[in-house]
Amino acid sequence: MNLRLLCSTVRLQMKQSFSRPMFRFTLIAGPVLNTILLYEMFLSSGEENFFSYVVLGAGLMGIWGCICFSSAGDINRERYMGTLALIFAAPAPFRKTILGKIIGNTLLSLLTFLVSLLTAVILFGVKVRIAEPSHFLVAFAVTIVSFISISSVIACVLTLSRKTELYMNLLELPIALLCGFVFPLELLPPFIRVISYALSPTWAVRLLRRSVEGGTEPSLFFRELLITLVLSAVYALLSLLLYRLIEKHVRIRATLDVA
Amino acid sequence: MEAVIEAKDLRREYVTRRGVLRRTKRVVKAVDGISFHVERGEIFGLLGQNGAGKTTTIKMLTTLLAPTSGVCRVLGRNTFGEEKQIRSRINFIFGGEFGVYRRLSARDNLRYFAHLYLLEPEVFEPRIGQLLEMVSLADRADDLAETYSKGMIQRLQIARGLINDPEILFMDEPTVGLDPVGARMLRDIIRRLKEDGRTVLLTTHYLPEAEELCDRMVIVNAGKIVAGGTPAEIRGSHESLEEAYLSLVGAGEAATPA
Ligand SMILES: Nc1ncnc2c1ncn2[C@@H]1O[C@H](COP(=O)(O)OP(=O)(O)OP(=O)(O)O)[C@@H](O)[C@H]1O
Ligand SMILES: [Mg+2]
Repeated sequence: MNLRLLCSTVRLQMKQSFSRPMFRFTLIAGPVLNTILLYEMFLSSGEENFFSYVVLGAGLMGIWGCICFSSAGDINRERYMGTLALIFAAPAPFRKTILGKIIGNTLLSLLTFLVSLLTAVILFGVKVRIAEPSHFLVAFAVTIVSFISISSVIACVLTLSRKTELYMNLLELPIALLCGFVFPLELLPPFIRVISYALSPTWAVRLLRRSVEGGTEPSLFFRELLITLVLSAVYALLSLLLYRLIEKHVRIRATLDVA
Repeated sequence: MEAVIEAKDLRREYVTRRGVLRRTKRVVKAVDGISFHVERGEIFGLLGQNGAGKTTTIKMLTTLLAPTSGVCRVLGRNTFGEEKQIRSRINFIFGGEFGVYRRLSARDNLRYFAHLYLLEPEVFEPRIGQLLEMVSLADRADDLAETYSKGMIQRLQIARGLINDPEILFMDEPTVGLDPVGARMLRDIIRRLKEDGRTVLLTTHYLPEAEELCDRMVIVNAGKIVAGGTPAEIRGSHESLEEAYLSLVGAGEAATPA
């Protein structure tokens, strides 16, 4: 029953998002540009693994951009379309509907990886080299989970405010930097790195890189895998608690619509 | 008779902030202590000037807004706190071009809301067909809603509001933007709902419509009820409902909330 609700929300969201020019731009043009830029930077960076630096970097930035635009932006868009109030007042639990939207957007945004990969292969004719394919698959799945869990906390907080557009733009770059999507964490001062370690995508990204580059002790890989999963679970729990609060709060503060 | 909607000394305030440097708080008493009840099977009108507090009242009744104080019960349950027991049994339609997914077709819109109301496909597929027929959208049902005219979107909204076969339907200015044929269609739908034993609470600025449809109504001004009863009772010795209305809300001067 609820699975059907989830699936139909995921479908609706993918249809909706894909039909928006802005989303298509973030999904396709964004990764192409990022891949080209990162490639140029790669050439003079002394980094070794092209796939890890360019494709993963551009792909992750792309995914995150899509999630920011959609999961945060969609709440505002629905607020202005008057559908936020409708989904809020429907018997289906609001948090599940929002979760469906986030999953839909995240799945769609995975395309950025493909786009960035294709760009790299076609434009620069590079060979893809993944040292530990099975680890990579696990890391990829965990990355999706970690993105979904962090977006769900963000989306839920944003329901409360009418200034979502602002916050969403504010969040995009810092998270990309803090989680080390492109640049290594070691470039950040230690006291800021503390924040990075509390963000689940940081660990997921690390797993991705390790599996691509290879040469990691399996025990280390699995320890970091566990950390990613635990952090994601903490986020999921947090958003569950937040939704409880927010379902009351939006009605007290009247932020469901703009009328 | 069973009162399915009950408001007692219901109040709602909005706090707004103004200014950038010297922020001042302002409290708007949008609904300022209103009491009324609606019985099962009634068509009930909520009339009043712009800003009188009609939409705010409907939002509180439809579990979208928390009352500041007072009783706000639908089907015997509090709309704030017991909303879970209410939501599947009611629905609402807000006038205007909002409240549909413009990048989906009418049919997909209805399907999606059917999912949100946790209906089974065996139930909603035939119902969607009937509803599209009823609001005369059947031939455009698979076009994207963004290609619809204002009135067509409004008709889609009406179909959406009936997707869960609600016991109570709340309608906020449902005839806004409808052509005369569409408005007639909507009035017929409302009357049919009543024949089926459903309850309808509606707001409108079109007084003849209210007079034609409503069993009873209240007139709200600046958040307070200034008159209530059957259309004939409210008309009283006045020539028309409009005359009575104008004298009740103070003709000429626009109502401004406190
Ligand atoms: N979210 C809000 N924040 C602050 N004030 C609000 C908010 N919503 C409504 N108000 C104020 O509350 C008052 C009542 O508004 P409401 O929308 O209930 O009126 P209405 O009777 O539906 O009017 P109309 O006929 O124009 O639709 C108005 O003064 C309005 O400005
Ligand atoms: Mg209104």
